[in-house]
Amino acid sequence: MPRATREIRRRIRSVTNTRKVTKAMELVASAKMRRAVQAMLATRPYAKRAWELLLDLASRTDREAHGLLRRSLGQKVGLVLVSSNRGLVGGFNTQLVNSLVQYLEREQASGGGKPDIVLLGKKGRSIVHKYGYPAVAEFAKLDVISRIQDIRPLVHLVINDFRSGKYDRIMMAYTDFISTLVQKPQIRQLLPLEPSSADQTRSEVNATSWRGEYLFEPNPDDVFEVLLPRLVEIQLFQAVLESTAAEHASRMVAMRNASDAASDLIDDLTLSFNQARQAGITQDLAEISASRVAVEA
Amino acid sequence: MKTFKLEITTPERVVYSDEVDSVTLPTVNGEITVLAHHLPIVTVLKAGELVIRKAGQEMPFAVAGGFAQVEPKKLVILADSAERFDEIDEQRAEEARRRAEELKKTVATDDVQFAQLAGRIDRELARLKVVRKYKHRGHIGITQEGIQKE
Repeated sequence: MPRATREIRRRIRSVTNTRKVTKAMELVASAKMRRAVQAMLATRPYAKRAWELLLDLASRTDREAHGLLRRSLGQKVGLVLVSSNRGLVGGFNTQLVNSLVQYLEREQASGGGKPDIVLLGKKGRSIVHKYGYPAVAEFAKLDVISRIQDIRPLVHLVINDFRSGKYDRIMMAYTDFISTLVQKPQIRQLLPLEPSSADQTRSEVNATSWRGEYLFEPNPDDVFEVLLPRLVEIQLFQAVLESTAAEHASRMVAMRNASDAASDLIDDLTLSFNQARQAGITQDLAEISASRVAVEA
Repeated sequence: MKTFKLEITTPERVVYSDEVDSVTLPTVNGEITVLAHHLPIVTVLKAGELVIRKAGQEMPFAVAGGFAQVEPKKLVILADSAERFDEIDEQRAEEARRRAEELKKTVATDDVQFAQLAGRIDRELARLKVVRKYKHRGHIGITQEGIQKE
């Protein structure tokens, strides 16, 4: 009897420890998620204003004159992949990569070339190697990003490469945070900037802001020139914040499931432990009575 | 005095939002002061000192680049960064400026890098200017209304 119960007791202990770890990770992830969501919401007023300004300006200036709006017919694509730094995030990275691979296969079928990948987050690397896409740069991602400076180097790289004509289009693949339970992979065009991608905000824009003639100082083109990189920056920043929130949400849910599974396992093991203990006692009693009968006989 | 609505936002958050009497902003062409009923204008900002006036009191900010958009009843400032003078750490700003200047001397190889570093130096200088100018006044004549807490 002691051997069987000792074995089970050891397993209960180890599962209990695992549950402690997953529980702690769940709490940490939920705190980080809250911060990321807050940061995400805080960027919205700026992004909305900046798009409004762009829409205002787009009608007044020659779009072909600005590097970041110029459409080109080439097929060379650069892609920014926003993944997580660490594992144990449930299907977070897998989901993103699956939809990315599907998208790229579709692109290739319609004549597009293989894109160069710019990585943000450590987990992207192994995945990209697996599918054989060239990774041209890798940027470290912080666990909780709250300042736009943290992604400035990436923004510079993307803008410079697009301006110099190295890429004809820049895409970004990230995960949209819809709710704690739902995160959706997104693949969107970052450059050239499309004023039409402000469509979703346009209806709000018309409702809230004043439509009329502005004076531009020094002139519309200069304002435009300063505005465009900001828009690229804020879009990337929002994508990164969305991804961060989604990553932590995904990890939180995965860890909660793990904790629940551990609890179930502990219940099962406790039951087996009690049964084994009871069986041991019954057997001992049977042996004692048997030997007593044998002695008395 | 006639007031108007002011909103200062940065990519990270809304920094200020309230009714004010007037605002003085550093623009690429110099400096403008906006009062109520200013004509609609969009202007590019440079790094410098932004002063909000409200009911006879002042509130200084250090801003770095961005835009100001004046609408009939509203002024919206989209700044790259904006800090209230008492949020600025003088020592750190000084160090950051020194570092940027050293980098400019040593590693700036092309125009783009040079311009970036020069921009950084301007930004730190603006912060230093604001913090040095207002630090010694204490909080007399400085209002805290309208500050958006994080």
